[in-house]
Amino acid sequence: MFQQFELAHGVKLYVRPTEQFKTINISFKWKQQLTLEQAAIRSVLANVLQYNNAEYPTNAAFRKRLDDLYGAVLYFDTAKKGNHHIFSLNAETVNDAYLSNEKVVEEVFSLLHTVIFKPNMVDGKFVDSIVKREKEQVIERIQSMYDDKTRYAQQRLLENILPNHAASITANGTVAAVQGVTNEQLVDMHETLLKKDELSIYVVGDVNMQEIKDKMEKYFQFTARTAELKKEVEAPTTTNDKDFLHEIQDMKQGKLHMAYRTPITFFSKEFPIMQLTNGILGGFSHSKIFINVREKESMAYYASSSYSSLYGLIFVLAGIDSNLQEKAVKLIDEQLKAMQAGDITDLEINQTKSMLKNQLKEALDSSRAQIEIYDQYKEIDESFTVENWVSRWSSVTKEQIQQMASTIEKEFVYFLSGKDGADNE
Amino acid sequence: MNETYFEQLEETLYHEQLPNGLNVYILPKKGFSKTYVTFTTKYGSIDREFIPLGKDKTVIVPDGIAHFLEHKMFEKEEGDVFQKFSEKGASANAFTSFTRTAYLFSSTDYILDNTKTLLDFVQQPYFTEQTVEKEKGIIAQEITMYDDQPDWRLYFGAIENMYKEHPVKIDIAGTVESINKITAEHLYECYNTFYHPSNMVLFVVGAVDPKEMMAFIKEDQASKTFEAPQEITRFFPDEQNDVDIKERKLQMDVQKPKVIYGIKSNNVNISGEEMLNYELAMQVAIELVFGRTSAFYQDVYDKGLVDESYSADYSMENGYGFSMIGSDTSNAEELTQTIRQSILNHASEWEFTVEDLKRITRKKIGYFLRALNSIEYIANQFTRYSFNDMNLFDVVPALENLSMEQVKDAFETLRNENAHTVFTIVPFEKNKNE
Repeated sequence: MFQQFELAHGVKLYVRPTEQFKTINISFKWKQQLTLEQAAIRSVLANVLQYNNAEYPTNAAFRKRLDDLYGAVLYFDTAKKGNHHIFSLNAETVNDAYLSNEKVVEEVFSLLHTVIFKPNMVDGKFVDSIVKREKEQVIERIQSMYDDKTRYAQQRLLENILPNHAASITANGTVAAVQGVTNEQLVDMHETLLKKDELSIYVVGDVNMQEIKDKMEKYFQFTARTAELKKEVEAPTTTNDKDFLHEIQDMKQGKLHMAYRTPITFFSKEFPIMQLTNGILGGFSHSKIFINVREKESMAYYASSSYSSLYGLIFVLAGIDSNLQEKAVKLIDEQLKAMQAGDITDLEINQTKSMLKNQLKEALDSSRAQIEIYDQYKEIDESFTVENWVSRWSSVTKEQIQQMASTIEKEFVYFLSGKDGADNE
Repeated sequence: MNETYFEQLEETLYHEQLPNGLNVYILPKKGFSKTYVTFTTKYGSIDREFIPLGKDKTVIVPDGIAHFLEHKMFEKEEGDVFQKFSEKGASANAFTSFTRTAYLFSSTDYILDNTKTLLDFVQQPYFTEQTVEKEKGIIAQEITMYDDQPDWRLYFGAIENMYKEHPVKIDIAGTVESINKITAEHLYECYNTFYHPSNMVLFVVGAVDPKEMMAFIKEDQASKTFEAPQEITRFFPDEQNDVDIKERKLQMDVQKPKVIYGIKSNNVNISGEEMLNYELAMQVAIELVFGRTSAFYQDVYDKGLVDESYSADYSMENGYGFSMIGSDTSNAEELTQTIRQSILNHASEWEFTVEDLKRITRKKIGYFLRALNSIEYIANQFTRYSFNDMNLFDVVPALENLSMEQVKDAFETLRNENAHTVFTIVPFEKNKNE
């Protein structure tokens, strides 16, 4: 779905010319192996580069420039995918065609050059006061997760099943890791981005291929890089002696987070079948978990499963009355057992195939989603298209799904609730 | 079928009002895979006091009923509507706001079949005492979920501070207590009053053939019988200009305090062009004084009084409106003092130049063009604008014509300190159990 060019070894440009959008989306993604320390450094660096640069020495001056360019969006971000940490720079600008006599796109490319190659440095270092404050901002972002009970419960689940593993390391790092970040580490990391990290650049919009290639050469001369990234995540070797943890906070609802393991991952040939299996179990509002936990028992407002394919994990999440944890776990267990026993109808299979297909096709209506989906699927298939992927689901049979369900094993139950639930134990 | 071409945006909008009163809008988008259809009634949580269709006495219905009704529409005698949509690969959903209830689906195939399912399930109510009882457990979990979300509590706390009488202060989903009073009879009464086609808008956007779709909808609507359209009589209490409560705190299990500085608007009984211009002027004024390029923001950011959660905006509907400036903060006291001072200073001395205004309007035009990439944004916002007698596609010309005088006048309405309020969520004191 993207045309691709190698700009230098390890630096690839992916372009998708389309008249679908009124804007042009640009995304730089620098990838490296995920570690806690590096994640912390990179998240602080993202903030520091976002704050100012050599041409726009204050944040207000920089933002005013973006406002002038018809509110161009330009931001650094960090994320993780499987084994990798992704440091990204994203921009979205209005296509000049919708403005009278303006040359906004060229200006945005020039600004992208500035934020990457001309950071605000004094004597080869970032400004200490900015580093200090942006470290604080990242720490506060990490701490704010505590206020969102769903995110908090999910993180606690991961820390318990896979401590010190890619699955539980967050893209921002931890408070302690961020506190330890030094100015020198930020400078080194900036160098790493410019010279060492594998880099993918995406452009989506009503653009001319040659013009984009010319602009790339004019503004960004990235040098060849040799780092080889390992794609697959190592299977965790540790096993838990515990399989249940109940924690108490001052809150009203009970947050049930269950983890299941499967040897089938994104890189397995059975991956498309496992997508269907998860869909039938709990991916949609026709799925077994939704129908039985919410519609039949009225126990929950949300109840669903999701397949974290890069790690071979399936999560089931439900918000329930804090006294009903045991009943809910039993009910959810029964849904998986039913699938393992072959209790899967043609209707469920057809609904799930239709919904997965629709989900993937719908994603094409957002340029950001086009980039994200391709960035993931190209790891297994550089010539990925939505149509081809959809065809992999069409022939999947009930027996194959049942067989996939039998690879799924329950690993851990985490429950976060208020004090009511505790009294019953 | 009326056809309007918006040259600058390169969009064509098709519109027709059907004999039963339903307004149908269709906006084809080239290059898109999916079609998104919303079917919306001008009925939300604030519509709690009204004269039911065919009756002559005013009723007050239990809080949370519009949202409860939304949930119950999906259940039919033959089962759950989600199942039917799933068979045709459509993701369906619904939401209830203060002023609207919207039912929607998106799909890349079987657009006409799915449109038919949408029209049928919203136009064929089925409520029994048993199905109503069953829903109470689900909605109670939804309510408790929101109860645990500090940002939602913060937002609602600020609105509760501002309003003494107006039902915007009542949580959209109601309370566990209020929903327990809801009966099937209540639901039919609300349904019959507010779900008449003349009180609704159908908006179709995406990969759609406008002629085929319009013909399909017309045929469907012509095959169903509806009573003649009638004016709906709704009652809203008189609301004073001053806020109800000047300052209030709530303790929750949070890491650091969260605060909203709210300013209740007094120019809210407007609609159409007047509303469009006022709303934009107010938003531009807030952006100038409190946006991320403002001297105010630079100051509080440098002092460490705000973090990435900071926001400042103005929102309104007919009958209520408010500006809110808020952030997670280690020093709510100092932050709110600074906000108050900044409002008073700018209201007495407006220092912005025409260049500043141009910059902000350019930013907003860019934001609007970006938003037009999202067909969900178009459908939902267009409906909201149309219920307020405005046209979404007038936003760009209105922004281009906005004068400094309008912006300055809008900001001056914030001067009255009796309309200011502060709501704060603070962490529990940590010495209790630890």
